[in-house]
Amino acid sequence: MHKSVKRGLITATAWAVLSTTAMAADTLTLAGLGGKVQEDLTATLFKPSAEKIGAELRTESHDGIAAVRVQVQSGAPGWDVAHLGAEDCAIGAAEGLFEPIDYSVVNGDGIPEGVRAKDWIATNTYSVVLAWRTDKYGDNPPKDWKDFWDVEKFPGRRALSVYPQEMMEIALLGDGVERDKVYPLDTKRSLAALEKIKPSVSVWWTSGAQSAQLLKDGEVDMEAIWGSRIAGVIADGAPVKFTYQDGVIGFGCVAILKGSKNVAAAQKLVANIVSPEIQARIPTMMGYYGPSNKKAFEAKQFSADVLTQSNASPENAAKQVTMQPTWWSENIQDVQEDFKNLIVQ
Amino acid sequence: MPGRVEIRNIRKAYGSFLALDDVSLDIAPGEFLTLLGPSGSGKTTLLNVLAGFVRPDSGSITIDGAEFLLLPPHKRNLGMVFQNYALFPHMSVRRNVGYPLRLRGVSGAELDRRVEEALGLVQMAHLADRGVNALSGGQRQRVALARAIVFEPSILLMDEPLSALDKKLREHMQLELKRLHDRLGTTTVYVTHDQREALTLSDRIAVVNGGKIVQLGTPDEIYDRPKNKFVADFIGETRFLPVETGASGALLYGRPLRTRDDWKGATGEKPWLVIRPERLRWKGDESQTANRIEAETTDIIYQGDSYLITVRMPDGAELDLRRGPDLGGKDLPERGQPIQLWLDREHTILVADKS
Amino acid sequence: MTMVLNHPGIADADHNADALKRQGSRERRVLASLTLPGAILIFLVLILPIGWLFWLSFFGPSGEPTLENYTRMLKPIYVRTFISTFEVAGLVTLVCVLLGYPVAYLLSQLSERTAGLLMIFVVLPFWTSVLVRTYAWLVLLQRTGLVNTWLIDAGVISTPLPLVHNMLGTVIGMVHVMLPFLILPLYASMRAIDSVYMRAAANCGATPSQAFRQVFLPMSLPGLAAGVALVFVLCLGFFVTPALLGGGRVAMWAMQIANNISVYGNWGAASALGVVLLVVTGIILYVFKRLFRVDSFEGVR
Repeated sequence: MHKSVKRGLITATAWAVLSTTAMAADTLTLAGLGGKVQEDLTATLFKPSAEKIGAELRTESHDGIAAVRVQVQSGAPGWDVAHLGAEDCAIGAAEGLFEPIDYSVVNGDGIPEGVRAKDWIATNTYSVVLAWRTDKYGDNPPKDWKDFWDVEKFPGRRALSVYPQEMMEIALLGDGVERDKVYPLDTKRSLAALEKIKPSVSVWWTSGAQSAQLLKDGEVDMEAIWGSRIAGVIADGAPVKFTYQDGVIGFGCVAILKGSKNVAAAQKLVANIVSPEIQARIPTMMGYYGPSNKKAFEAKQFSADVLTQSNASPENAAKQVTMQPTWWSENIQDVQEDFKNLIVQ
Repeated sequence: MPGRVEIRNIRKAYGSFLALDDVSLDIAPGEFLTLLGPSGSGKTTLLNVLAGFVRPDSGSITIDGAEFLLLPPHKRNLGMVFQNYALFPHMSVRRNVGYPLRLRGVSGAELDRRVEEALGLVQMAHLADRGVNALSGGQRQRVALARAIVFEPSILLMDEPLSALDKKLREHMQLELKRLHDRLGTTTVYVTHDQREALTLSDRIAVVNGGKIVQLGTPDEIYDRPKNKFVADFIGETRFLPVETGASGALLYGRPLRTRDDWKGATGEKPWLVIRPERLRWKGDESQTANRIEAETTDIIYQGDSYLITVRMPDGAELDLRRGPDLGGKDLPERGQPIQLWLDREHTILVADKS
Repeated sequence: MTMVLNHPGIADADHNADALKRQGSRERRVLASLTLPGAILIFLVLILPIGWLFWLSFFGPSGEPTLENYTRMLKPIYVRTFISTFEVAGLVTLVCVLLGYPVAYLLSQLSERTAGLLMIFVVLPFWTSVLVRTYAWLVLLQRTGLVNTWLIDAGVISTPLPLVHNMLGTVIGMVHVMLPFLILPLYASMRAIDSVYMRAAANCGATPSQAFRQVFLPMSLPGLAAGVALVFVLCLGFFVTPALLGGGRVAMWAMQIANNISVYGNWGAASALGVVLLVVTGIILYVFKRLFRVDSFEGVR
């Protein structure tokens, strides 16, 4: 190794050791799912929250609940807080991976009941929406999932996700179930509906990037896709539109890992993340994502444009179904297998 | 009798290197002909031209009068024994030997009979069902031979077939090859760089050097009447002594030298006397000065079956002689004593530096 | 010296036997200790974790011993995924053999220099990430992709062919990834086949195609078997490529393992899947080895 490089490394290591020692009590490590979403969440929610409590924030990434499980089972987790999809938070809570949220520190007002759990709390929303190619449907596009299921009136190639979450809800809506009657999911009916649409589903997508590409390249004519992914497709000039009508609102969440050495500081961090003030940063900073705290829309005035775009604005939220992570955590094992079985057949 | 090979004006160049320089050679039916030469001399190239593995630039080969050179290797119907045997490792001994027959459409009892017969000829019938990897070098050699003769080719090619065997086995196999050839009478072209092997086996030897046949003859012709210094040097434990030519004939160390043939070298060519140490006689007419060498014994070493006697020539050159205990009535010379040696005219051969 | 040699007590047959034996076994111990670091490493990072997974697979979510992790695999989705995994692996291996064998043969017949140059093209796929390559195939093969566009423009077809989001696309993508794994060992073994065997076959009277089929092909089988085993086993663990290019319909065991890891709270669920795959793969490789007698003539030159 080059001498100066070596010396540089030693210096850097020394610095790292010194700084961690000096600030050990105030350093919190948060691990999320990585990528652009985590960058945006860090800038919008996590960083400002850490600054507010005067803590140093380190972010790392994981690839799902299994990685969190490993950390907790090791007895000395390297992370204090994990950001996950809400179903995973619910699964982890059922496995006892998390410290309880201290609701004397965290103010959960404004956060929907189902996603304000004993061990975890929602931090943001996203929507799965119906999007279509305007060059295919022109002035008479599908309006909701019932249209998506109507292959006579709306011929064309469709795409759905390979994961059952949100797809099961969509199938019920497509089959004519009212939005407020979706839960608890009638899995039999849902699977039957999916069986009906299956011949028209040309792709079951595996990743967000793939779903965006499918629509952008015209590989499919309409699909269920994360709202956040639509932005890039439309920005690229693809003839694509979407509707929040009948969308499914899902949640991101945070939980404090059992065995964390910084539980008290972590509680304060979580409290800030879900506070209306910080949450109010989401509609402007993260297009197509929304705050989990409804009070965010009271904490700040937003332009009409922003409100139209945000999936969680009161007007848009009213058109959608809100996902229930707890239902999923209880049923995922069977549903996942049945759903997959249906696709593969 | 089939198997007459006529090789005419074969040329093969690799870039500027002439591997075969206008080679012509007739091989009689049933003859055992050896191509003898150092490595790089072109002997293997010539064999490969015969086998069809090397395409020459020009020339002609006929076998029993029919043009042969343009045939692809698999239509030449030649048996060949390769240097490292080239037995197929995925086939048993029996399948290896039967392979040429199966390709010729022989099957069933006829196939078995002929394979057994070929293996019997090389005394390998008892190992017919072995894998070839379980065989020793000598056994592989025999199987390779059986595979080469099983389809009764009119011509058999062998490329240094014994070079991978140890000395004792090699000498034994030489005798077996000779016996087999006597029995089958197949025209055989044999490549080797081992002069003793060539002398033992061959009806005729073609000494090859620099892409040319430098001498073609029977073993005794090649040994006793080398045409040039290269052949004389390549065959036997040869020493060369400088000879002067004057008006009265050849002179060796000032004494007249009667040679088998008159010196017919071109002007400026220096003649050398070919000395085969075993041809030097210890007894001779002491009154006669011709063909006599006055030397001095410098060393005598007892080696069991013989004595190694080192003698110094008048010009200081040293020569090793080997003699059995019977010195033809003479006592063993002593170190430092003068010694007289005679040369028969019959064995007194002069060669030029080049030819 | 003479006296010592003739001494009756010392000329005894057992003399020094024990000491020599001790020396021998000490030598063996020293040699064994040289392989120790490797053996320990393999034990720690391979044998131990696999053993641990095996152990875990017999326990349920709350730590109770159970066979549930195994009985679950009788559900249709697992059976189907299992079969389709081996189907995909088999199909990809077959296509790799059909495409790779001629390439390896060509390379083995060229000069080392030329072969080395061409080999760059063989290993080129190694230099890009699997994900990038997979997306590239999507761009090429999809309905609006280059291949279909060309074919439509050329008037060969009128409606796009379903080249991707199905088994075909999966196989194409996986073959692209796996081909080097077949070609490299095959090429190495073909290089080791001395050309004298082909000459010997020709001399025996075999036409070039007979010589190839009866001599070269059988002699290249050990290398082919090595490549086939490598490709087949690697295919069994494929994840990204079939997920993307299969349009979600091509189910692979590895995806199922990943699903089970995140969906089931106990490691045993996914471990059991891993154990079953390991055991079945082991059985297949064993049968394969017996069937093709992979090592029957290895090392022969």
